[in-house]
Amino acid sequence: MRKDLRLELRSGESTLALLALSMLVLVVLVFALGAARMRSVDAAAGALWVAMVFAGMLGANRALLAERDNGAIRGLLLSPLDPSTLYAAKLCAALIFMAVAEVGAVILMVLFFNLDFDASMARLAPILVLGAIGFSALATLLSAITGRTRGGDMLLPILAVPIFVPALIAGVKASAAALAGAPFESMGDWLKIMIAFDVLFVTAGYLLFEHVVGGE
Amino acid sequence: MPAPVVETRSLAKTYGPAVVLREVQLRLLAGAGAFIIGGNGAGKSTLLRILAGLEAPSDGQALVFGQDTRRLAARYRRRIGLMAHQSFLYPNLTARENLEFYAELYSLADPRACAHQWLGRVGLAEVADTRVRAFSRGMEQRLSVARAMLAEPALLLLDEPFASLDHDGAEIVAALIRGAVERGACVLATTHGIPEIDGVELAVFEISRGRLMQHAHKEEVRRGGRIRSLLGR
Repeated sequence: MRKDLRLELRSGESTLALLALSMLVLVVLVFALGAARMRSVDAAAGALWVAMVFAGMLGANRALLAERDNGAIRGLLLSPLDPSTLYAAKLCAALIFMAVAEVGAVILMVLFFNLDFDASMARLAPILVLGAIGFSALATLLSAITGRTRGGDMLLPILAVPIFVPALIAGVKASAAALAGAPFESMGDWLKIMIAFDVLFVTAGYLLFEHVVGGE
Repeated sequence: MPAPVVETRSLAKTYGPAVVLREVQLRLLAGAGAFIIGGNGAGKSTLLRILAGLEAPSDGQALVFGQDTRRLAARYRRRIGLMAHQSFLYPNLTARENLEFYAELYSLADPRACAHQWLGRVGLAEVADTRVRAFSRGMEQRLSVARAMLAEPALLLLDEPFASLDHDGAEIVAALIRGAVERGACVLATTHGIPEIDGVELAVFEISRGRLMQHAHKEEVRRGGRIRSLLGR
């Protein structure tokens, strides 16, 4: 993970791309939704999650991209490193990239949708963390598969988005409730869905990664 | 009789209808140095990748340290050093950072000192803090050799280690191979031409039409002498 962060700090490619993508999505949605809905927390939550999903796919893809250069993934597979440990490191890297994008997306959301930086942001934070964990876990696992195929960049969103739909709906609903000032108790069911999604895909990734990232 | 470091039993590899390796029988002990020659696409690199556990054979068996290469535990992978056509290096890291990263992966004591030592051994000490993307092909080749040998593996698999190297680089790699054999490692390398490595007796094999054959002596290769077949032995 330290190596991944060093590479990203050196180039900044992923971070800039993630932030630019988040801004693009939010700007487009703001103009598409129109002034009448500019203060709607539902619209803001939806826009935020659209930006996050796109940014998350980009981040997960790029987390494994460095290993494709010069066949470095084979060097890692040949080493004593446990493939599950490799998955954990890539998951953490994707999570950090997504967290950076989330911070930028939240700031842009507040600005574009005329919201306030208040206590609702604190209620939003754990929801975004759960969403980031689940999506990063899923996207990291899938990018190990799609990265080995021709047109893998296009294949990742086709695979990831449908699978992520349950957590996405839960995230949007919970985020909208948080921005509206609702207590955590009222969004309990949505949070349970997100937690279950996280547990499922972090576990699946940990167990399956070595079988999908192999050298052939 | 000591256990072989490398052993293949009727090893075969196919890619769809193409048969790359067939009935390969190979047995190498610790301290053995061997080169495999053959034309482009003969299957030399494929054999090395199978022995490293990066590909599975289609038939037969490949064993290193007595273990099936399809299920190599971490403690056996630690003892293998592979230098392939791809360098396994990160272009945006410096030479030093690449070696330190791999030294940490292999849990070597003092990765920084280890990287420094190996950069000196391959003649790259002066460019230690240069990113690999700025390296020439020959410099990257030297660094790749250092990466493969960093952990002083018991089995060294080198795919065309002399490719793209100048005279000095070739001498460095030849000396490193000699040193590895002298310390008891098993070295198996592929090449297009038989190198001169003084003080080391090298076995020479040839892959032709997917089959592995051994030349009695490397001089026979140069004289175009008779080839003894190892099939079925």
